[in-house]
Order: sequence, then C-alpha cells, then structure tokens
Amino acid sequence: MDDHAVLLEGVTRTYGKGATEVAALRQVSVGFRRGSFTAVMGPSGSGKSTLLQCASGLDRPDAGAVRVAGRDITRFGEKELATLRRDQVGVIFQAFNLVPSLTAWQNVILPSRLAGRRPDPARVRELLNRVGLAGREGHRPAQLSGGQQQRVAIARALLGRPEVLFADEPTGALDRGTGHEVLALLREAVDAFGQTVVMVTHDPEAAARADSVLFLTDGRIVDVLYRPSAEQIGARLGGRR
Amino acid sequence: MTLVLAWNNVRTNRTGLAASFVAVLLAVTLVGGNGLVVAGASTRDELHDIIGLLVLSALVSGFVSVFVVAGMLSMHVLRQRRTWALLRSVGMTPRQVRRLITVEALVVGVLASAAGCALAVPYAALMAALMRMAGLAPGGIPVEVTAVPFVLASVVGVAVTLPAARLAARKAVRVGPLEVLRESAAQRRLLPWPRAVAGVVALAGGVVLLWLVPELTPKDAVPTGLGATMALCVGASALGPVAMRLLGLLLGAVAAVLDPGAGMLAGSSVVTQPRRAMSAASPVMLTVALACTFMFAVATSDAAEGVTRSGPAAWAAPLLVGSAVVYTVISVLNATAMTMDERSEEIRLLRTVGTGPGQLVRMVCWETLIVTTAGALLGTGIAAASLAALGKALTGEAWFAYSLPQYAGLVVVCAVSGLAGGLVSTRGARRGALLADSQG
Ligand SMILES: Nc1ncnc2c1ncn2[C@@H]1O[C@H](COP(=O)(O)OP(=O)(O)OP(=O)(O)O)[C@@H](O)[C@H]1O
Ligand SMILES: [Mg+2]
Repeated sequence: MDDHAVLLEGVTRTYGKGATEVAALRQVSVGFRRGSFTAVMGPSGSGKSTLLQCASGLDRPDAGAVRVAGRDITRFGEKELATLRRDQVGVIFQAFNLVPSLTAWQNVILPSRLAGRRPDPARVRELLNRVGLAGREGHRPAQLSGGQQQRVAIARALLGRPEVLFADEPTGALDRGTGHEVLALLREAVDAFGQTVVMVTHDPEAAARADSVLFLTDGRIVDVLYRPSAEQIGARLGGRR
Repeated sequence: MTLVLAWNNVRTNRTGLAASFVAVLLAVTLVGGNGLVVAGASTRDELHDIIGLLVLSALVSGFVSVFVVAGMLSMHVLRQRRTWALLRSVGMTPRQVRRLITVEALVVGVLASAAGCALAVPYAALMAALMRMAGLAPGGIPVEVTAVPFVLASVVGVAVTLPAARLAARKAVRVGPLEVLRESAAQRRLLPWPRAVAGVVALAGGVVLLWLVPELTPKDAVPTGLGATMALCVGASALGPVAMRLLGLLLGAVAAVLDPGAGMLAGSSVVTQPRRAMSAASPVMLTVALACTFMFAVATSDAAEGVTRSGPAAWAAPLLVGSAVVYTVISVLNATAMTMDERSEEIRLLRTVGTGPGQLVRMVCWETLIVTTAGALLGTGIAAASLAALGKALTGEAWFAYSLPQYAGLVVVCAVSGLAGGLVSTRGARRGALLADSQG
C-alpha cells in the first residue's frame, strides 16, 4: 500500500451537464508503484488525458480520492497544490507547455526559480543536450517547433527530479530518433533515480518501454499488461477494433 | 454568418468589449459635457475672463478622449489577432474580417455615444455647480441643451471609434494567419515604419512648440505649452515600445533581484511584449504629462504674478483638468485589465508548473508597477520639458513651480488604478479551474 507513489480510489470525472454530459472517468481505481513506468493507452476520447490531469492535481475529480505520497490531493488548497507541482509532480502536456516570454533555458529552470533555488547550469545544459536542443537555449517558444517545445517541457519536468512524472504523448510529435532519446530519458528517470513515470501514448513501441500498460475505454480501465512486447500491445489494440 | 460570428466574438471578448464601451461612453460624456459648459458660458458677458480657460480644458478633454478611444479600440482589435487568424485559416477573406470588425465597432460606437450624450447633461450641470463653488463663475453657468456639443461628442464617439478599429483591422489581417497561430507575436517588428514616422513627426512638432513657447506672451504661452505636451505624448506613445523595452530591462532587473521568481516573469513579459506594455503605459504617461503641465503651469503663472490662492480658489486649476484626469485614470485601469486579461492561458500554465497564488499576485503587481513606472517617467519628462519652456516665457528662467504631494498623489492613483485592473482581470485565471478552456 505504502509503496504507491500515486493512488487513485474510485475517481470519477464528468464534464458538462444534462444533454452534453460526458463521463470521462468512471470509478477508476489504480495505483502507480514507486519507481515504476506505466503507459496508458486507449482510443481517442477514452479519458487518458483526464486521468493524467486528475492524478496530477491539475483537475479535481467529482468523486473519489487521489493520493500522492499518501496524502489526498483532492483536498489540497491552491498553495499546497503549487508546492506539489513545483517539487513532487512534473507534468508534460500535449500542447502549450511553455511560457511565451521566457527562453528555453529560462523555461527549464522556472520551477526551481519559483522555489527559490539556483539549479546547476551544467545539469540544465546536459538535459537540453540530451533532448536534442543544444544551441537552442536562448530561443523563445515562438522560435521553436512544436516537438522542440515539448522537449523543453520534458527537460523542465526532469530537472527537478520530481517523485512522479506525468507525460501526455511525449513522443507523439517526435521523429523516431528523438522519440527514442526521450523514452530513454524517462526510462533512466525510473531506473537510475527511482522516479515514477506515467505516460499516455498511442505508439505500441513507446508503450513497450514501460513496465506495465493500462488500457482505457470509455473512462474505465479495461485491461492491464505487464512487460508486454510491442507486438502484444499491437495485438491487444487491434483485437478491440 | 457574419452576424453569428460577430455575436460569438462579442460573447467571448467581454472584457475588451466592456473596456472599449466604457472608454467611448466616458469620452462622449466628457466632450459633450465640456461643450455644454463652454456653450453656456459664452452666453454670459461676465464669464468672458474664464472662457479661455474653459475652452482650453475642453480641448484637453477632447484630446484625451481621442487618444484613449483610439488606443483602446486598436488594442481591442489587435488582441483578438488569434481569432482573426483562425477565421482566415478556415477561409474567411481579409475583407470579411474587416467588415466583422467594423460592424462591431459601429455598434459599440453608436450605443456608447447615445449613452454618453445622455450622461453629458447631468455631468455639465455638476461641473457648472463645482465651478460656482470654486469661485470661477460666482454667478453660475447656465447649462442649456444645444445641439453642437452633442454633435461634437458623437463625432468623437463614432468618427474616432470606427477609423481606429478599421486601422487596427487592416494591421491585424495583414499578418498571415500562420504567423499568428505560431505565436510569433514576440518576433513582430518593434516599430513598423509608419508608426516610427508618425512618432518622429509628432515629437518634432512638440519640440518646435517648446521652442516657440518662450517667445510668446504669457497669455499664449500656456495653451502652446499644453499643445507641446500633447504632441510629445503622441510621439512618445508611438515610439514608446522602444523606450518600454529599455525601461523593461532596467526595471525588470530590479524586480528580479527583489523577487527572483515573480519579478523575472514580470520583467521578461514587458521586454518581449513592449507594445502590449506600452498600450497600458500610455494612459499613465498621458495622465501625468497633462495633469502636471496644466496644474503646475497655473501654479507657475501665479507665482510669476505673485498671486496666492487659498480656499476653494486653490481648487480651480485641479477642477478644470480634473475630469480629464479621472478619465485617464479609468483608462489606466481599463488598459491594464485588457492587457492582463490576455494572459489567462499563460497564468494557468504557470500554475501547472507550480507557481503559487502569492507568486502570481506578485507577478501581476510587479508587471503593473514596471509599466506604470515607465509611463510615469515618460509623462514626467514630457511635463518637465513643457513646464521649463513655460517658465521661461513667464519668468524669463527655465524654472517652474510644482507641488510634490500633488505629483506623488497623481502617480500613486495611477499605480493603484493599474493594480486594481490587473488583479481583477486575472482573478479568474489565478484562482479558477486550471483547465477551464485549455485542453491539457
Ligand atoms: N474540458 C472539457 N469539457 C467537456 N468535455 C471534455 C473536456 N475535456 C475532455 N472532455 C471529454 O472527455 C472525454 C475524455 O477526454 P480526454 O481528453 O481525457 O481523452 P483522451 O483519451 O486524452 O483523448 P486523445 O487521445 O484524443 O487525447 C472526451 O469525450 C472529451 O470529449
Ligand atoms: Mg489526450
């Protein structure tokens, strides 16, 4: 029980009211073990992003509890949530990840600066190199491609070594080579630093790098595979159609 | 179709629309009311002495109104750049976009002008009563409802609103849709050449007037000095983005030292978007420049003639520019609210990376303070130049009388007004649901 970095208990999230009501998550209960790498898969609109948003405290579920390091974050106030996001939880979105007025470098160090820390420049440089952005430190988001922007966000999320890292399709916009490097970084976060990673993806090969794969359909977890191969995942996805 | 789109736009841009409406409404009230007072005063012989001053203050109001309304409308149109770009990327022609913008501006202009004309009558009565109390017009000023002031006011309402919106619309649709959607706003040219030319011409005009002032009789010097202030304001506002970037770097560095996280965010936002910052700084500059020139010119001329005023008479000068200043102070609030409202998405993003509620408040405050300080510095410089020239005309020396408490009060009021606008307009983004309208 205690070795769960994040634990969802009966989480329900419904958007809209009346005729336009959409149940994005229905009574989802799932735990993410400390130092594990989990992939979340499922058809578009199945609730993957919503699951990530609720688990990371960006959104409040309508019912249920979300425990991060044992504490129910659905009861947190704004200030506690801010500290949580700065220090314990890192999030990488599908889009719009960066502050437009800051350079890539400044975006990466932003959470540390907000916490009043001075991050080690060598490590910032190393992270930016590894996500393939050497020489781009001084560029603003408007001068970067969508994939490059997302990689800056990945470097930002990795810099603080948060206990939990949530990533929404971090390789969705990347070519194979860069995608592999990003997956290697996430894998390393788990293996070398004991961080917990939860990643939404549509790509069976990316999901195969995870320890386990959750399958979501219509707001419910319908299946879990442990250490599957890309072929098994592909078959599982194909079999549903 | 155009109507449906226009209506949707109106619904999703409430802050901008409300700010534009208020700007036009108050401008029309101000111009119409002042016009009524002047028209009333001109019917009485015993008011002959002060009619010059009244006309002057009416001109100041008119200038302020045009300046503010034009600025506000262009801000309102340009801040919706993304919407226009999206509409164009789905096949709307530039012409259709321009028409959409024109229709909206026309509706705002006409409705706000009508309301402003209605408010002008009680406003004129109030001003007349205040002037009687201050001893400017002991016998009172008869306010009669005549057509000319209303026509003038409506001209400001509609004839300024419409071209301002159309000009901004032309600029907005000239930028390619893709450029806008990729958020390359930060890369836009700091100073497009038409703007640079207009700015330089206005500045040159102001300098010529400044140079003329000492050659004139005291009676003509004051209006000319005010004219110089107005011309310099127009010039500074056009060239402002350049000054803003420099001041943003300087003041932003100070803020970043005092408050590393929030101060750095505030400073970099001013430096990367100096035009946006300048739209909020312009009303501050105008307030400080005009109020100081007018009030301290009267004080300087009194000192030159050895006149000391006390009691209600001391309030005559502040009273004459008072309503124009109140108007610009409201515009400070309006403009800050508009520029900050634009940042909702960014503020939500900052929250997702762990910016605390206190830090967000401080960021908004720092940014507003940087912007108001920059505006106040520019305004102070302009007023000092005009007043020095006036002092030379009135006393033979580049000297002028001023009151530190009045000056400080003015700057503080501007800052408070800006802070109120900034904090209120970001409240929703700072506290509301994090994923309100952005998909994660
Ligand atoms: N803000 C919102 N308002 C209303 N409905 C929403 C909102 N966000 C998501 N939904 C709905 O909730 C459901 C789940 O959405 P979610 O974004 O979690 O899907 P997803 O699995 O991440 O899809 P994708 O693979 O396309 O990113 C969808 O049906 C979506 O339409
Ligand atoms: Mg999604």
